[in-house]
Amino acid sequence: MPAPQLRPLGIDGSSLPGPYPVGRYADGLRDFLRERPRVQLFGEVWNLRLSRAKVYLELRDSDGALPCSMWRNDFDALGLGERTLADGAQVVIGGGLDYYAGSRTSSPSFSFAIAAGALRVAGEGDLLAQLDRLRKTLDAEGLFAPQKLLARPALPRTIGVVTGESGKARDDVLAGLRRRGWHGRLVWAFAPVQDRHAAPRIAAALQDLAATGAVDVIVVARGGGSLADLFCFCDETLCRTVALLGVPVIASVGHHTDRTLIDDVAALSCSTPTHAAESAVPVHCLRAREDVIAFARRLSVHGRRALLHRAQTLARLSRAPGEHVAGERRRLHQRLREIRAAGRRRVHDERARGASKALVLERKARAAALDAHRAPRLNALALALAAHDPERTLERGYALVTDRGGEVVTSAAAAREAGDVRLRFGDAAVDATIGGDDDRA
Amino acid sequence: MTEPENKLALSYEAASARLEEIITRLDSGQAGLRETLELCKEGRMLVELCAAELEAVGRGLEELRLEDLVARLEAGAGAQGA
Repeated sequence: MPAPQLRPLGIDGSSLPGPYPVGRYADGLRDFLRERPRVQLFGEVWNLRLSRAKVYLELRDSDGALPCSMWRNDFDALGLGERTLADGAQVVIGGGLDYYAGSRTSSPSFSFAIAAGALRVAGEGDLLAQLDRLRKTLDAEGLFAPQKLLARPALPRTIGVVTGESGKARDDVLAGLRRRGWHGRLVWAFAPVQDRHAAPRIAAALQDLAATGAVDVIVVARGGGSLADLFCFCDETLCRTVALLGVPVIASVGHHTDRTLIDDVAALSCSTPTHAAESAVPVHCLRAREDVIAFARRLSVHGRRALLHRAQTLARLSRAPGEHVAGERRRLHQRLREIRAAGRRRVHDERARGASKALVLERKARAAALDAHRAPRLNALALALAAHDPERTLERGYALVTDRGGEVVTSAAAAREAGDVRLRFGDAAVDATIGGDDDRA
Repeated sequence: MTEPENKLALSYEAASARLEEIITRLDSGQAGLRETLELCKEGRMLVELCAAELEAVGRGLEELRLEDLVARLEAGAGAQGA
């Protein structure tokens, strides 16, 4: 039995009745609401949540929204699958206003209580269709491109982050930056990331960050949620602001299945805030430091090697004139030796050639002397030979008898035997036939 | 921004990419003596630039709210104006 409450004094000067105990007033409010006429409503389902006893959803259209609830048993009796009654589905519901008055230990809640069997799915949500139309419009205007054309620095000095002040995304961003070894300047621009006021605040934060001129890249992060929770990131004004911002924006609104419009217009879309933070710093700072140290060492090696090479070259050049003169001297000595050798060879050859000529001349002289001695003897022999020449005999009146074969006929018997003979005189030859008796000597 | 003009003109990624080009050229052994010395000189300048950039994001994480940054920038602008 709760202790009876003492009624406190009212506010001085107030003309309002009371004060009344809140529980009793809440009960009265519940009764008042329950007496309102029961009606049918239509709109789109958002934020559908199923608990063991009840099902909660929001019914929305472009002008407003109403929290609704129904008993889980009544919902299950409808036989609707999760996909049929997904966020964005168009439904008609029937029921009336209700109010749970709460207690000292539980919070009150207001809802439109849907009666058993009074829910009908009427079609896909209009908001999703609007979203699709807006996406096509922004795309047609070329607003998906400008952010992607912005140069994202590999090593930003200052990173801006737009996120909820109390969300887990904040820690995830820090974790991602730590993983990159980045310890630069981080500027937080906190803004609500859910509900109807979120989009203008996010857009303002983005514009303020860009306006400082000190931020190299901006991360927009949210820890996830249903598409209904993320609907502020599909706001047309916000998306146009992002598209035309001069600083690259990396979006990470943590939704895997449905893509928000800020994902399309941003320079880069990441699935998690951690990933977005890592993408904001493409360079791994610790590895980059090691690389720079390695570069410096290699440059030093090349520089030393180049200086050593230059010193060696200079030394070689300084030695070059002396070496050149020595080389020329060696070459001249060699040439001189060759000339001397050639001279000696020439003298020797000339001498040998002279000796050979002298020998030939000597032999010729000896042969000439011998010829002078033999000439008279040869003349005598020639005369003797001419004296025995048959031609000379024929000239004196003798004739030479030969047979037809040219053989000399030396006897009368041979002449008879031959019959036809040839008589050769000093001037010519005549044929003759042997006839008559022998005239033997 | 208070960085010198030459640092603004050359970003970290451009500097590191040029450094890699220089090292590749030097490693190839095709650079002559004069070119080697010039590349070493340019490389040392780029190493200093990259090291300064890395130093700027390695001193320790500085977290501040947008309002603080704006106030700081305004204070800086005011000091410059005065």
